[in-house]
Amino acid sequence: MRTRAELVVGALVSAGLVLLVSAVVALLKPHVPVLSLGALYVLAVLPVAIVWGTALAAIVSVASMLAFNWFFLPPEHSFHLRESQNWLALAIYLVIAVVVSALAAGARARREDAEQRRLEAHALAETALDLLRGRTLDEELGRLADLTAGVLRVDAARLELGQRPPIEGERALPVGAGLRSVATLFVDEAATIDEAVQRRFLPSLAALLTVVVERSRLEAEALEAEALRRSDMLKTALLRSVSHDLRSPLTAILASADALASPGLALAAGDRLELADAIRDEATRLDRVVEQLLDVSRLEAGAVEPHSELWHVDELVGRALAGLGPEASRVRLDIPPDTPPVEVDAAHVERVLANLLDNALNYSPPGSGVVVRAERGATELRVHVVDNGPGLPAEEREALFQPFRRGNAGQRGSGLGLAIARGFAEANGGRVWAQDTPGGGHLVLSLPLAARPAAIRA
Amino acid sequence: MSARVLVVDDEPQILRALRTSLRGAGYDVETAETAEGALAALAANPPDAVVLDLVLPDGSGTEVTRELRTWSSAPVIVLSVVGDESEKVAALDAGADDYVTKPFSVEELLARLRAALRRADAPVDPVVEVGDLRIDLEKQAVFVGGKPVQLTPHEFALLRVLARNPGKLLTHAALLREVWGRGYGEESHYLHVYVSQLRRKLEADPARPRYILTEPGAGYRLAERA
Repeated sequence: MRTRAELVVGALVSAGLVLLVSAVVALLKPHVPVLSLGALYVLAVLPVAIVWGTALAAIVSVASMLAFNWFFLPPEHSFHLRESQNWLALAIYLVIAVVVSALAAGARARREDAEQRRLEAHALAETALDLLRGRTLDEELGRLADLTAGVLRVDAARLELGQRPPIEGERALPVGAGLRSVATLFVDEAATIDEAVQRRFLPSLAALLTVVVERSRLEAEALEAEALRRSDMLKTALLRSVSHDLRSPLTAILASADALASPGLALAAGDRLELADAIRDEATRLDRVVEQLLDVSRLEAGAVEPHSELWHVDELVGRALAGLGPEASRVRLDIPPDTPPVEVDAAHVERVLANLLDNALNYSPPGSGVVVRAERGATELRVHVVDNGPGLPAEEREALFQPFRRGNAGQRGSGLGLAIARGFAEANGGRVWAQDTPGGGHLVLSLPLAARPAAIRA
Repeated sequence: MSARVLVVDDEPQILRALRTSLRGAGYDVETAETAEGALAALAANPPDAVVLDLVLPDGSGTEVTRELRTWSSAPVIVLSVVGDESEKVAALDAGADDYVTKPFSVEELLARLRAALRRADAPVDPVVEVGDLRIDLEKQAVFVGGKPVQLTPHEFALLRVLARNPGKLLTHAALLREVWGRGYGEESHYLHVYVSQLRRKLEADPARPRYILTEPGAGYRLAERA
């Protein structure tokens, strides 16, 4: 559809063109037989046909012939024609002008249609490509809406899944093939949309959307199945661990307490003390196992919320050492005084470090030391825990961090420590991994450097 | 005359263990199993110290502490569990003196109880000495092994609060209030950093502190003995 303003411009340009061609004809008239110059008016008709379409071009054709007759065919300055052959010439010129203008306007419409279809094909191809790249449904909807807005030539569009009622000021177009619509497209109420484009494009869009929706449903199902499978594995491992790691200290406690309470046993004072010590040690071990099981279930449930504060890492290491008891004396520290602070949950990071240290001490031969070294990276702080143990081949390192795995049969502990360490580190934006070091085991904790300024007022 | 201790816990087996051990340590022991029972016992016959479980069937140890503090300054030691850090801190801020975490050793509880009772009647000493550390509160001077240590005003303010209450656990909130006043804000992020700085000036091995001790999730205290 043409607006009134466009038509006015068209009429003015047409009149100008007709006058321009007439001027050219007047210039050439002394040199060429005037009748043959009538063909020049096609030059005025052609651009009008291309830009404003056939209707205006037909009017310009007639006007051209009238102008040619008026200005140049004898008698000049009259619409009368002296010679009858001039009638024939005028009629032929008119037919040529109308046919040429129809051809030009048709070519233009076909080009526009081709451009529109190219746009649609491009939009669908882009969407299909995004699907293959595995974007999420939310990203996809926004992008699809933008592409659709481009195809329908509206300023903005919004896509929502399912059939939705229109909202004030918006038009709701169902996106669907057949009766069922997959989604609803919202466009501005005032926007004009080409019916043919809408009928052609929206079903293709619906087909793609169906694929997207189906894919995200399958993905969600797969994720859920994987979570269930993992939780099943964990439960099995947990049961096995509970029966071993909880029962053996309980057995020792019961046996010792029975012995202490039994009137029939003649126990020396030293024996009594030993039994009491055994009860205390085993109860302490039991407490640790219970704490680890609780940690694992909290981490698995995603119920760990860090309460972050600024801490110097030597303080966090110190807290972890304090919980290790006499074993802590085997740990040597190498923490430079200018090590920047980190913003983390101290209790969580203390747990990470305690578990890394516990592991290192466990695998080091008795009497040998463990080194804790802090190193500042560009964006993170790395804490290295290096022991003199046997180390691990590269392919077994990741398995260390699976719950209920042990590096070596016969070692004490539930095999949860490193899984817990990794869980708490990740909850605080950090990472834990095992690294290669000649002559020992090497665990690394990396924590993001604090975003807050480390410099403070004294 | 032996000190009287009120033990409040709703678990009979814990009450039994504590009654036996505290009597063995020479205290007169009274027990209560509920918040209401505890307040009644406190009013009827005020004890010298209270050992108080944080979770009671009819209320919290924090409420009992707050109520008790309106008329008594008898030391209160709360029994907390792992994962109950916020309630523990609330009780300490409400006026409890110290805490032990279940499962605790009797030795540890007795040590905390003895220290709290001793602090209850000890006057504030203008010169506090812990091992090689000497803090002169009047002259505002600090020495380690006889050598003076330069502290910034905030570092000294922090140390002064700790030194005025040797051995007492001070919560983060209490320290911030004492050092920066009621309107502290951004400083709360830096409290631990200040403590680390202070330790680097005072301690031989800052990761194994002997003077300023960390109570995880609760606060700091100045050691009574190094």
